[in-house]
Amino acid sequence: MGARLRWIRRTVAAAFLVGLAFAFVDFRHLAPERLGHALASVQFVPSALSLLTGASFSIACLVVLAATLAVGRVYCGAICPLGLLQDVIRRVSRLLNQAPPFLKYAPARSWIRHGFLWATALAIVAGWGGLALAVLDPYSNFGRLFSALVRPVVTLANNALVHAFPSLASHGWYRVDVVWASLGVISVALTVLVVIGVMSALRGRLYCNTVCPVGTLLGMLSRRAAYRLSINSRRCKRCAECLKVCRAQCIDLRTRQIDASRCVACFDCLSVCKEAALAYEYSWKKPQPEVDTAPAVPEPSTNFSAGRRAFVSNSLTSILSALGGLTLLARGGGGEGAEPARPQRHRGNHGEGHGGEHSGKRHREHHDAGPICPPGSGSREAFLSRCTACQLCISACPTRVLQPAFLEYGIAGLMKPRFDLAVAFCNFDCTRCGDVCPTGAIDALALPEKQVTRVGVAHFDRRLCIVDQNGTDCAACSEHCPTKAVHTVPFRENLRLPEVDESLCIGCGACEFACPVQPTKAITVSPKLVHERASKAREEKASTPVPTNDFPF
Amino acid sequence: MKTRRDFIKAGFALGASFSLSDLSGLYAADAATAPAPGGSRSILVAVRDGDRVAMLDKALAELGGIGAFVKPGQTVLIKPNIGWDVPPERGANTHPDLVARLITLCREAGAKSVSVFDNTCDEWTLSYANSGIEKAAREAGATVVNGKDESLYRQTDVPNGVKLKSAKVHSLALDSDVFINVPVLKHHSGSLMTSAMKNLMGIVWDRRAYHRADLHQCIADLLTRVKPTLNIVDAYHPMVRNGPRGKSVEDVIVLKTLLASRDIVAVDAAAAKLLGHQPTDVRHVQLAAAHGLGTLDLDQVDIRRLRLA
Repeated sequence: MGARLRWIRRTVAAAFLVGLAFAFVDFRHLAPERLGHALASVQFVPSALSLLTGASFSIACLVVLAATLAVGRVYCGAICPLGLLQDVIRRVSRLLNQAPPFLKYAPARSWIRHGFLWATALAIVAGWGGLALAVLDPYSNFGRLFSALVRPVVTLANNALVHAFPSLASHGWYRVDVVWASLGVISVALTVLVVIGVMSALRGRLYCNTVCPVGTLLGMLSRRAAYRLSINSRRCKRCAECLKVCRAQCIDLRTRQIDASRCVACFDCLSVCKEAALAYEYSWKKPQPEVDTAPAVPEPSTNFSAGRRAFVSNSLTSILSALGGLTLLARGGGGEGAEPARPQRHRGNHGEGHGGEHSGKRHREHHDAGPICPPGSGSREAFLSRCTACQLCISACPTRVLQPAFLEYGIAGLMKPRFDLAVAFCNFDCTRCGDVCPTGAIDALALPEKQVTRVGVAHFDRRLCIVDQNGTDCAACSEHCPTKAVHTVPFRENLRLPEVDESLCIGCGACEFACPVQPTKAITVSPKLVHERASKAREEKASTPVPTNDFPF
Repeated sequence: MKTRRDFIKAGFALGASFSLSDLSGLYAADAATAPAPGGSRSILVAVRDGDRVAMLDKALAELGGIGAFVKPGQTVLIKPNIGWDVPPERGANTHPDLVARLITLCREAGAKSVSVFDNTCDEWTLSYANSGIEKAAREAGATVVNGKDESLYRQTDVPNGVKLKSAKVHSLALDSDVFINVPVLKHHSGSLMTSAMKNLMGIVWDRRAYHRADLHQCIADLLTRVKPTLNIVDAYHPMVRNGPRGKSVEDVIVLKTLLASRDIVAVDAAAAKLLGHQPTDVRHVQLAAAHGLGTLDLDQVDIRRLRLA
C-alpha cells in the first residue's frame, strides 16, 4: 500500500510542481491561462481568500481542510508548490552531499508555529491580511521565486541558445527581452530563496513546520486525522530506515510515535519499512486494549489532550479567519463608499485631497499618486487587501506592463503587480491578469467591460510636448491610444497637437509609454484609487473623403 | 524655428547634391525611379475593383511580372504593416491575403528565402497573430522574424539625412537582395497619412528618436539610405479616421484599390489623393521629393489605371 500511495502522491506532486513552475516561467506564453489558473485556484490561501471575500465560490480550501481531517496533510505533501520545491532542494543537496543523509527526530517548535499562525490571524483581523498573507502564503512565495528569479534566468538561457544556434529561428525560437524586477523585489525574493533553501537543505520541511501558517493550520487538523500513520511497537526494530526518508523530522523512534501534526503525508516511510511496522489506517475508533492481531496503536493521553487543545484552538482560528474574511469582504465590496481610509502616498508637498478639486501649482500635484493597479482590481484598497503577490498575473501579462512593486504602494503592496509604463502599456484586447488571478484580487472582466474600465487617466502637458516646443508633428501618444481619448487637433500651420478627452480614457498608459519626450514625458497617466467606468461613444460609419468609384488621380 | 520653406530649401539642396550616378550604384534596379530630366518616367499601377490577390496579380503583370523584381536565388524581405493587435477587418494592418500571395509569387520566382517582420507598436506576438499575417506568411513559406529583437538591428549611418544622421536599421532591410514594402493605407493622427514611406519606420529600432528629431524629416531621410525595390499599397479598405490604430470597423471605407510602383514618392502621392489630400499636404512625401527620391507631381508619372470590374 505504501508504494502505491507514494506513487500517487508523487504523480500529483509532479503535476502541480511542473505545471505551476511552467506557468510562472512561461516567458513565451505557450501554456493556456487555464493551466496556471486551475493549479493556482486549488491552493489553500488563494481559494480561502476568494471564498471569504466573495470573489468566487471557491471550495478548494474547504476540500483541503476536509481532506486534511480525513487523511492528513496531503495538501502539503502533494499540492503546495513551495513544499514540493523544498523536497526538490533537499534531494538535490543530498545528491551533492551537501545535506545530512538523514534527519533525526526533532521536537515540534510549537511556540514558533502557533506564533506565526496567530500573528497571521490577528493581522487579518487588524486589516493587515493583505500583507501577512502575501508574505506568508507558501504558494505565493513559490510564485515569486519562479517569476522574479527563475523566469529571467530561463529567458537568458533561451536567448543564449538562440544566439548560439541561429537555425532554431526556423523552428519558431526567438529572443525574448529579459525584464528584471526592481532591485528591491529581487532582494526580497533572493532572501526568501536563501532562507527556504538553507532550511530545506539542512532540515527538510522545517519551514512548513515552523514558519508556514498554512502548514500549522492544517497540522492542527492532521493531528486528529481519521487516517494517520502509526508505528507498531512490537514490530518496529528501530532500524531507522523510515528516518532516512522522513522530510518532516516527525518520527520519534525513542517513543515510537509519529507527530501527525507535522507529517506531510509523503508516505515514503510506509514504503521503506521492511518490518511492516508502519501502518496508515483509520484511527478514529475508540482506543482499545492492544491485541496481537490488531496493530492499531492507542493514542497516548498526552497526544489526546494535545489533540483537544488543537481542536479548540482550531475552532478559534476558524472564527478569526471568518472574521478576517468578513473584514475583507466589507472593504472589497464597498465600491464608491469605501473611499480609501489608509493614507496614500502623494508626490509633492500638497494636502490630502485626491480629487480634482485641489488646484496644485505644479502639473501633477492634484492627481492621485503611486502606481496603477490592474483592471479588474476595483480599487487600490480592495486590491491590496486581496492580492497575495503570487505574480501569476505578472507572468501571464503579454506586454510585461505588470511588474512587481517594491514600496511604490507602501509596505502593504510589497511585490504586488503595478503598471510600469516605462516597460510597456496595458494591451487593449487583453484580460489575462484577471483570467489567471486565483484570489479574486483581479476580477476576470469580460473584454468589453475591461475596455471601459478606467484604472487611471492621462494628463497632457502642452509645455513639454514636441509639437508645441519644436514645431514638428509627433502624436505618438494619440497614435497608440486605443480609445482615441488622446486625439489630435489642428495646431498652428499644418501641425496636429494632442488633446485628451478624459471621459474616454481608460488609463492603459499607451500614450505615456509612446511619448518620446525626455526626461519627463509630456503625457502621463495618474492612477484612479477607485476604478471608474469610461464612456464609449458609438461611432457612425466613416464617410468617404473622395468619390470612391474612380481614381482620384 | 525653421519654417516649412526652409525645410524644402534644405531638401532641394540635398537632392541636388545627391547625384543620379550615386543612386544607380546603390539601387541598380531603381533606374526608373528618379525623375531624371529626359529619363524614363516613373510607372505607377493603380488597380480597382478586384479582390486583393487579383489586383496584386494584375499590378505585377503590368510591371513585368514578379520576375522583373525577384531573380532565382535572391533573398527577399517583405515588410507589411503589422503594427497593431487588431484583426484584418479593422484595416490597421496590411491584409494577410496580400502578404501571403506576394510570398507565394516570390517563392515561385525562385527566391532563396522570403522573410517577413515589423517593429510593431502593440505587443509583437499578439500583433503578428491577430493580424493574421504570421499564420498566412508561415503557410505561404516565409520566415516570420521577431521585429522586437534588438540584436537583429544594425547601427547605420544616414550620410544624406537632414535630421536623421544615424539609425539602428533591421539587418534584413539592409542585407536582403529584394525589399518589397507592403503598407496598408491609413489616416494617421500625427503624420496625416501613413502609407509606403511611413511604413518604413517599422524597419527602424528607435521610433521615439524619429518623433523627437522631426518625424517627417526622419521618414524622408531614411529613404536616402534604405529604399524598397517595390512598393505595394493595400488600399482595399483604408482607415480614414482614428488612425493609425483605429477604434472599430466603422473607421474604414471600401475603396477596393491597390497601388504599386518602384517610385515610393509617386505611390504615396497617389495614396494621399485616395484619402482626399494633396500630395504636398503630407510633409514627408514632399520632403522625400525634395531629396530627389521620387516624383511628387503625378502629372509627370506614367499612371496605368486598371479596372477589374
